[in-house]
Amino acid sequence: MELNKKTLIGTVGYHILGNHSMPPMMYHHLTKMSWPDHVKVDELNWGPVAVVQMMEAESPPFEKVIILCAIERKGRKIGQIDVFRWLGKLPDEEQIQACVGDAATGVISVENLLVIGEYFKIWKDEVYLVDVEPGPEVAGEKWTESMESCIPDVISTIKKLVVTGMDDGIDIKYLQGDTLFTNKIVTD
Amino acid sequence: MCFKNLPIAFDDQGNAYLKEDIANPYEYKVVDLGQEQDKLHSLMEKNGFIKNVDYDPVTRVAGALAFHSVVDLKEKKVLSTNSMATLFRGYEIILKGRDPRDAAYISSRACGVCGGVHATTSALAIEMALGIKPPPLGVVMRNILLAIEYLYDHPLHLFLLAGPDYSEELVAATNPELISKAASSKCKNKDVHGYDTILDIMKDLNPLKGKLYLEALSMTRVAREAYVQIGGKYPHPQSVVPGGISVTVTMTTLNEVYTRLIKFFDYGKKTTGIWDDVFDFFYEQDERYQQCGVRPATMADTGVWDRPDFYDASFENCDKWGEARWSTPGILVDGEVVTTKLSELNAGLEEFVEHSYYEKWQEHKFKTDDKGLPLSPNHPWNKDTIPKPGKQSWRDRYSWDTCPTWDRLPMEAGAYSRMYLTAKAQKAPESKYLENTGHSMKIHVPKYNLPAADLEWKIPTHWNAFERNRARAYCIPYSAMVALENWEIAQQLIRNGETAVSTPFEIPKKGLYKGFGAWGAGRGFLTHHLIVENGLIQNYQILTPSTLNAAPRTPWGAPGPYEEAVMNTPILEKFDTPEDYKGIDILRAIRSFDPCMPCTTHIMAKDTNHVVTREVTTCACGIE
Repeated sequence: MELNKKTLIGTVGYHILGNHSMPPMMYHHLTKMSWPDHVKVDELNWGPVAVVQMMEAESPPFEKVIILCAIERKGRKIGQIDVFRWLGKLPDEEQIQACVGDAATGVISVENLLVIGEYFKIWKDEVYLVDVEPGPEVAGEKWTESMESCIPDVISTIKKLVVTGMDDGIDIKYLQGDTLFTNKIVTD
Repeated sequence: MCFKNLPIAFDDQGNAYLKEDIANPYEYKVVDLGQEQDKLHSLMEKNGFIKNVDYDPVTRVAGALAFHSVVDLKEKKVLSTNSMATLFRGYEIILKGRDPRDAAYISSRACGVCGGVHATTSALAIEMALGIKPPPLGVVMRNILLAIEYLYDHPLHLFLLAGPDYSEELVAATNPELISKAASSKCKNKDVHGYDTILDIMKDLNPLKGKLYLEALSMTRVAREAYVQIGGKYPHPQSVVPGGISVTVTMTTLNEVYTRLIKFFDYGKKTTGIWDDVFDFFYEQDERYQQCGVRPATMADTGVWDRPDFYDASFENCDKWGEARWSTPGILVDGEVVTTKLSELNAGLEEFVEHSYYEKWQEHKFKTDDKGLPLSPNHPWNKDTIPKPGKQSWRDRYSWDTCPTWDRLPMEAGAYSRMYLTAKAQKAPESKYLENTGHSMKIHVPKYNLPAADLEWKIPTHWNAFERNRARAYCIPYSAMVALENWEIAQQLIRNGETAVSTPFEIPKKGLYKGFGAWGAGRGFLTHHLIVENGLIQNYQILTPSTLNAAPRTPWGAPGPYEEAVMNTPILEKFDTPEDYKGIDILRAIRSFDPCMPCTTHIMAKDTNHVVTREVTTCACGIE
């Protein structure tokens, strides 16, 4: 496993939606943490198209991208952490265009970011989602206790991904673009 | 005398009064939409070619718009339409009871594209309510911010959202007979944009791969880069505040903006040339395209870009500073200007909820404005937002959008309204870059890589889908030239040492104050109506362009602008069986308005502030 890969830790999510807002609220905490020189923390809420343009301008490119997100998925308990590795592969062009349409008009979505990034070939090597189950959407700035209590594990998972990689005791699931919108998770 | 339907008259001195001897001056007739539905059901039972055609969601628009139509596929006519906003916007409720200074930041989130516009409109409303006059540089920098926002927005719509409707891929799938004609049709503006044939342009309009599509994506970056020099970030700027802006502006800032702005000089020349060629081609192939999305040029626009020497934020002088704007506020009815006064524009506004998921409010708190102009109980200052989710029915209620009218007329809004009113009214300031002739707007764009160009947008004979997009293309050089003119003023102000960008103010803890912000999104008309009582927001009402355009029927049965435009659209698409029908003509008509449903619809925090509701059936199956 190659160490010291140029790494981006990004947060994606809407504000003021309770547990769903954990990633953008964690952004400030993550920026204050001490990270190796090859690691940058950034908010990736400012639109997949803009993220693509930023990544295209980044030289050398990020070899590893770790995205912190909170997507409601069936069958998980609030605070459950899953790590997904992005395997690429694109949905059909109509779906890609729909993602661009959403992105260009301000919708914040990890799926759109993954697909648009894949289409414009910004993902160089390893892309991971650290995806924490937020439960149902609620308005407000507060998290539930289950979400609060999982934060140390969220941070340690991100650290582990930064320092090591996929084969270091982390249970990895897989995501790919051609099945992303049919809610199929590739479990390998 | 601008009002024909509202009971407002003017005396010899021009003072408005409510017409006397009318028992219920604001009464209106509520039409039963059920009769129309019964007729349609009967027709559908008898004729297998009459079909429900539903788009849910309408794609390539921003957010939650659904559209229902009944189409006669044999006669190739649209028989009935319903426009549905499928989510609730709760900003009016979220803002109630808050400190007015929060409004710019919160209302900015009403849209992921035009957040800066909402922030500024909010600032303008507070300035009017509390009498805060920003310094000249603050006014000018807001103008530049707005123009840049349009330079982001218009390319995005023209090439990413509407553009694919005219691409080789879509045209080949819906009107394949046009492809060979496009291949042999030479472009008139090749010297500007470099394309030899119309088919060459169509190929580069293809989504995701076409060069024009990809170029538009890169131009949005240029605009964003310029924007953040002043706004701090995009789309929700940190620096727009009541009283001006909160960022120091230097020559360096202006230079950074200029290096981005000049790229739009050539881009504006190229874009107008491309769309002129494409749309003229469609007309030449079939003149019935003139009827696609056609409706009368009955439009509202708030005007934008304040003159620093006129704008004092006061309601008392709003007609003067409004008419002094670089784009003229006002109302067009069937292509004729009926007013350019902001006070009359404001007084004529009403919102109806008979076909929307809201309860009617009872109070009529403000019977006149501060100039004595009568205000309807349905005026935004009198409105109360009372959501009432319910069953979706074409006979009754079917949208989260309200039905705004001016003088009881459904009004269209758009970037094009800004241009149409300004060109027609001829009240905008003298400018070395812009000239309004009464029937056109001439835009003198300086040299950059391409030579200087004298562009001219002409008021069209038919107001249709193609002309909306053509005018939007011309709004790119128009906006760039307003930005340039304001950039020159900003430079002069800094040279003169007039570097103040904001005016300090305090929120009075006692008393009642009201104001409205009148500004324009990329899609046009935007107002925020505000009541401040004892230091807190007592009422806040947002009217967006898509609130106007996506409106359901009026209580008296008149269709909203989308509905009317689609009703008038001929079906020119080629298809063999009803199953092959894609509805491109209808979609062109809807998308030409540049629908922005995030403005119109938002999720509310219900009662407890803890529940996000989406209690609405969006699927049109089984709806009455």
